[in-house]
Amino acid sequence: MGEDWLVVTDSQDVGALSRLLPDAPVTAMVIGDRALAESAAVAGVAVVHWIEPDEGVPAEAYAGAAAASILASSPRLVAATALGPASRAVLGALAAGCGATLLSGVTAVRDAGDRVEVTGGAAGGDVVATYAVPWPLCALVVPSDDVPAPDPSVLVAPLAATDSPVRVTARRVSQPSGLADAARVVGVGRGLRSKADLDLVRGLADRLGAELACSMPLADDLGWLPRDRFLGRSGQQISPRLYLAVGLSGAPQHLQGVRGAKVIVGINSDPGAGIFRASDYGIVGDLYEIVPALTEALARG
Amino acid sequence: MTTVVAFNVAREPAAARILADGSVIWPTRKLPPAEDDHAALSAAVVLADGGELVGVTLGQGDPVWAAARGTTRVLRISDVVVGDDDSATAAALAAAVAEVDGADLVVLGDSEHHPGLAPALAGHLGWPCVLAAAAAARVGEGVEVTRRIGGVEETISARLPVVIAIVAEGEETSPPGMKTMLTARRLPVHDLVATDLALEPVPPLEPVQTRPPSSAAARLFDGDPQQAVGELIKALRSEGVL
Ligand SMILES: Cc1cc2nc3c(=O)[nH]c(=O)nc-3n(C[C@H](O)[C@H](O)[C@H](O)COP(=O)(O)OP(=O)(O)OC[C@H]3O[C@@H](n4cnc5c(N)ncnc54)[C@H](O)[C@@H]3O)c2cc1C
Repeated sequence: MGEDWLVVTDSQDVGALSRLLPDAPVTAMVIGDRALAESAAVAGVAVVHWIEPDEGVPAEAYAGAAAASILASSPRLVAATALGPASRAVLGALAAGCGATLLSGVTAVRDAGDRVEVTGGAAGGDVVATYAVPWPLCALVVPSDDVPAPDPSVLVAPLAATDSPVRVTARRVSQPSGLADAARVVGVGRGLRSKADLDLVRGLADRLGAELACSMPLADDLGWLPRDRFLGRSGQQISPRLYLAVGLSGAPQHLQGVRGAKVIVGINSDPGAGIFRASDYGIVGDLYEIVPALTEALARG
Repeated sequence: MTTVVAFNVAREPAAARILADGSVIWPTRKLPPAEDDHAALSAAVVLADGGELVGVTLGQGDPVWAAARGTTRVLRISDVVVGDDDSATAAALAAAVAEVDGADLVVLGDSEHHPGLAPALAGHLGWPCVLAAAAAARVGEGVEVTRRIGGVEETISARLPVVIAIVAEGEETSPPGMKTMLTARRLPVHDLVATDLALEPVPPLEPVQTRPPSSAAARLFDGDPQQAVGELIKALRSEGVL
């Protein structure tokens, strides 16, 4: 059987290594700059193959070239996270190219002889599912914070980039709103009755030394906060140490913006609110009572 | 030069019924539209630019839903349904696309729950793809796509053929009215079966076992607000996040 591969197109992809079979040395395929290629030179990786995109060419335009190069080794397992479009593009091309099963949300794989046992979240993560499929497998794995130890002896071998039918013609980096690097963030949702009541939540955020954020409807439909303040799949994605969600139902699309938070706290009057399923701690109660009480208690120290 | 839009080919977790033992029951007959489908349909209408817009779907797809939003005809593989192997779903869709004369642009939703679907469709077609797109338009011989990833907004130009996967930013704002839905019932649907397309009629991939996640539930404080906030602060201090 062929090789095991890790596709790296995002700095967090290397952590996916821990989801692979622990004893098999993997080969890394990197599409990105030199720093990314060097970050993939870690313990557990035998060789790093590296494609450096030409100026103005998105990484996913090299999916075909990367896939062709991996296919030449008759791969057994190819893993990547779904974080960047380029990793997905490589796995899509590969699965089609070698008839592999392509599964997402994967948290573990186990060699079961001529088959592979795959574990991961299904139905949006509401259940843990196990699949038994034949090799080869393309696995979009759940990102992990694990950073394997760097190994400077790993060979980084450049591959030639090819001409691309896809080009980036303009790039605009938006001004950071302060949310991205905040250690603490208070997010507020439609449980708030009026724009004026934002002051209540702002008072709590100030007391916590936190940035203020919100759900999409608060920025989009109501316009109470600027659009760069809403969190979620369509908004900002953040990884604070503390995320405090106030009067916010915890829709899956919102939670996608705070997946990286270390501790999530929900304050909601409905004990059945989805936010509590995603939280570490919660207070069931009226935000108009809880928020002032919390602000005061923090002020007392 | 024909634009194709794939729809109703991703399963939304909201459509699943999850039993206490962790078993999952998916709708068998009809899948509700996936979250990004309406955005993919509107992007496809823009890209078709008044020309033909062919919808492709699988057995649980609702052709009327798509016809009411701008497809001129629909091709459905009636005996293939969506499973968890995105490449298998994509293989069937690619076979359907191959039935459409002159197809050089395929648009579909970039489903959060099937992140491999759009790229695998590109893979099976042997085309490049642009994923996570917000909007797209035809410019000259190719297409121009805009997308936002993290804090970066990109404009991408792509030559045809290409697969474009669209992410919806929210719910559909103006769904078609009753009259449009009724007219849509009259638009042509071409039903095929897997063997017509030389596809192996394999059942969709489902897990051999499912169970509820073991993640611990949130520690909830309720009752007296003063006491609840006191306990919360204590807990957050011990987590080291205050
Ligand atoms: C394609 C798509 C993309 C989307 N992207 C995003 C996104 O990026 N970000 C995002 O946020 N949303 C997004 N959404 C919308 C999302 O589905 C939810 O509709 C939205 O997040 C709900 O916002 P909310 O929690 O503020 O409001 P609601 O869901 O209305 O929740 C309000 C909550 O407040 C609680 N409450 C009410 N009164 C009180 C009180 N006095 N004290 C305490 N609690 C109280 C209620 O119990 C309720 O749980 C998207 C939707 C779609 C379809």
